[in-house]
Amino acid sequence: MIALELTDIEYSYRRNTALRGVSLQVEAGEIVAITGASGCGKSTLLHCAAGILTPDKGSVRLDGQDLAELSADARAALRRTKIGVVLQFGQLVPDLPLIDNVALPLLLAGHQRSEAHEHAREWLTQVGIQDEADAVPSELSGGQTQRAAIARALVSGPSVVLADEPTGSLDSRAGKELLDVLVSTARYRGAALVMVTHDNLVAAAANREIRLRDGVIQHEVAL
Amino acid sequence: MATAELVLGLLSAGPAHGYDVKRGHDSWFPDGRPLAFGQVYTTLGRLERDGLVEVVEKTSGGGPDRTVYALTDKGRKHLADWLVDPVPPAWGSADEVLRKLVAAVRTGGDAAAFLARQRASHLRRIRELQESPAGQDPTSPLVRDYTVAHLDADLRWLDSAIERLSEQETS
Repeated sequence: MIALELTDIEYSYRRNTALRGVSLQVEAGEIVAITGASGCGKSTLLHCAAGILTPDKGSVRLDGQDLAELSADARAALRRTKIGVVLQFGQLVPDLPLIDNVALPLLLAGHQRSEAHEHAREWLTQVGIQDEADAVPSELSGGQTQRAAIARALVSGPSVVLADEPTGSLDSRAGKELLDVLVSTARYRGAALVMVTHDNLVAAAANREIRLRDGVIQHEVAL
Repeated sequence: MATAELVLGLLSAGPAHGYDVKRGHDSWFPDGRPLAFGQVYTTLGRLERDGLVEVVEKTSGGGPDRTVYALTDKGRKHLADWLVDPVPPAWGSADEVLRKLVAAVRTGGDAAAFLARQRASHLRRIRELQESPAGQDPTSPLVRDYTVAHLDADLRWLDSAIERLSEQETS
């Protein structure tokens, strides 16, 4: 089953064209690495897939649903439940304890606090930081912050997980541990996982590599 | 070492004698070790025995060697097959990757496709190593770290080669 389908995506920042007609399909349970030199368009592609950016042209389909055909509210709701996003530096809410940070997608979706916390606690355990539930982000290490970001991305049971340089700010050992957590939890959930990375050790965890250059797919290989 | 295949690549532009093959090799790899004359003639002899090259002209006399060799159809096919296959990733495999890459570019092969396949081959090997635990003895983890670090270094070089070829194509 195709979890994510991007068709002929084009996107420009003012005068700079970042994506020039990129198409890709990701199956449920598949792990895809998007690679390429800085400025090749890989993060822009991820942000278009996540609905953070709206493409100038082309379509994004999540579980067969075209995002452009939805109202803004319906699109936001779909993003909350179907997509988990992990950004490079975690991007946690600074004043919230970890348990609330991880529960946030469920709270925003209208779940009861106790139920949201129960799920959040399960995911904190899954990523190995259950003892930090009451800590605020400033009390965490970089690795713990990224683990929390992964827990938050997965708490709502998304069918697609999008990760932008998920190990970018970590040393190699911490990065490897985090990658193991991300890959194994995505596999456990049967979610499609798309990782933007310049790290070959991260790309090696994928089933497929898509390499971008100047906003187009330069090559695509099965791994 | 893939000297035999490099000699086939050097002959792909047309018949040549051993001296031309040696000079051609050294110009393909200006920073590398020059190819010894002895190795050129030994390699050509072996390739002739295996039917991959043939002697198309031979002049004898007191002067220098005038035996001219040419690729056979079998030799051309052997070269094409060699240029397609990625190198099994291992210690020091980058040397062989470089030989194939240079030969692919110089003989008009599809260097970009080769690099993409080689990159995939290296990534698969890293995944295999990452997924199988290193031995519990004191040195196995050290060996594993070394191997992964070298494959990662190869991949970074492959990345820069892909970029450089792309830049040359667009310039």
